[in-house]
Amino acid sequence: MFKNTLFALTCVSFLLTGCATKPVTPEEIRAYEEANDPIEPFNRAMFATNMLLDTAILKPLAKGYRAITPSPIRTGISNVFDNIKQPGYLLNSLLQGEGEQAWHISQRFLANTFLGLGGLFDVASDMNIPVHTNDFGQTLAAWGWHTSEPYIVWPILGPSNPRDTIGTAFSTALTSAELSVIHEPSVRYGIVALDAIQSREENIEFLESLKNSSTDFYATVRSMYRQNREKKINSVINTNNTEASTSAYDFDFDEE
Amino acid sequence: MKKITTIILSIFLLAFPAKADEGGIKFVQELANNIIDNVLTANISEDEKLKIFQDRFKKDLDTKTIGRQVASDYWKKASKEDQDAFLEAFLDFTTKSWADKFNLYTGQKINFTGIRPAKSNQFFVISEVQNNPPVEVLWRVKKVGATYKITDIVIEGVSMIASYRNEYRSFLHQNGGKLSTLTSELKTRSSTFKFTKKAQ
Repeated sequence: MFKNTLFALTCVSFLLTGCATKPVTPEEIRAYEEANDPIEPFNRAMFATNMLLDTAILKPLAKGYRAITPSPIRTGISNVFDNIKQPGYLLNSLLQGEGEQAWHISQRFLANTFLGLGGLFDVASDMNIPVHTNDFGQTLAAWGWHTSEPYIVWPILGPSNPRDTIGTAFSTALTSAELSVIHEPSVRYGIVALDAIQSREENIEFLESLKNSSTDFYATVRSMYRQNREKKINSVINTNNTEASTSAYDFDFDEE
Repeated sequence: MKKITTIILSIFLLAFPAKADEGGIKFVQELANNIIDNVLTANISEDEKLKIFQDRFKKDLDTKTIGRQVASDYWKKASKEDQDAFLEAFLDFTTKSWADKFNLYTGQKINFTGIRPAKSNQFFVISEVQNNPPVEVLWRVKKVGATYKITDIVIEGVSMIASYRNEYRSFLHQNGGKLSTLTSELKTRSSTFKFTKKAQ
């Protein structure tokens, strides 16, 4: 089912891209690149579905979680989830050939696991050990898959593209492998659900503010996702080229 | 010898794109500290916070440049009156929505780490908000005479101008393409603006 949907989406995107008029002027090229969204009707429908699910389920759960959990405990839970993700970051750093980052991540994981009581306390930050959050989408970019279109909004998972969809699948498989040490399925699902709820809790006000100030929330989220993702991708493929790594936001100003 | 001196001088000037940049860092630092001390951590009402915030940003933002960029190709199609009305509504609403987002600040330290040249004879002042992980904030600055103006703020690669431009282009594409329609929308939203309540 998933494979069929992905295939259909890819076909539609190729067809629509083929029909689009080629941009000519710098302004047209910039507009084309920023808004290039060949499966927009599908994406908008998925975005609306995700917003409904968020309003009906995730946001109320996040608010409830905040109401019954004191702030220091929430911080501890957030730290534990952050620590669980470190082996994945380590693996991706190694796959990207980033030895120094791999060393930092190892130090962070060991310090927080053993001195921070299983990751409950973030002692690594107190020790000024740098933070790196390398994912498999970045690894694929480091291996040569630099640009990835079309923009896709998945149900529940949210904004992505073909490369980062594979990255997310890989990360999910890795987390599942880590959690397989827990034999009780309900506990495993509970942990995954708690991770989603605590992440949402951290962004209740920011997302509310962003939604209220946007004239087209879908377009705002699409733009922010793409720009932020481009920065992360550029950080692994243009490590020694400042001009290339800042090209997304260092544009020429159109002045009179 | 003169040639070598010129080359060395050129390299020095390229490494430090404009002497004015030092003043640019001070300008941004002063702006950030002023907002933190007099608005974000000050014990005053939300209305007072909003007024101080808006006054300060209205003074320090290069409104016309930003307005032109975010309205993109719709700017040139609009009349002078529509352009002026858009700039006024955009500035009013943007400073309100920024005040709302800045109001979520919870006391993290901001470090200013340097400068980087930008296109169109501008530069970025680089800062980092102490967080886990740290958040990179770039303040794009333009020198105007003896003073400076903010032309963009880039948070973790997300440019304020690029985001508004994309959002507004999408809005205008779906709503007839007249800048005055966007102006009316911004005015409506501005008139009903309220700070986001913190969930308990």
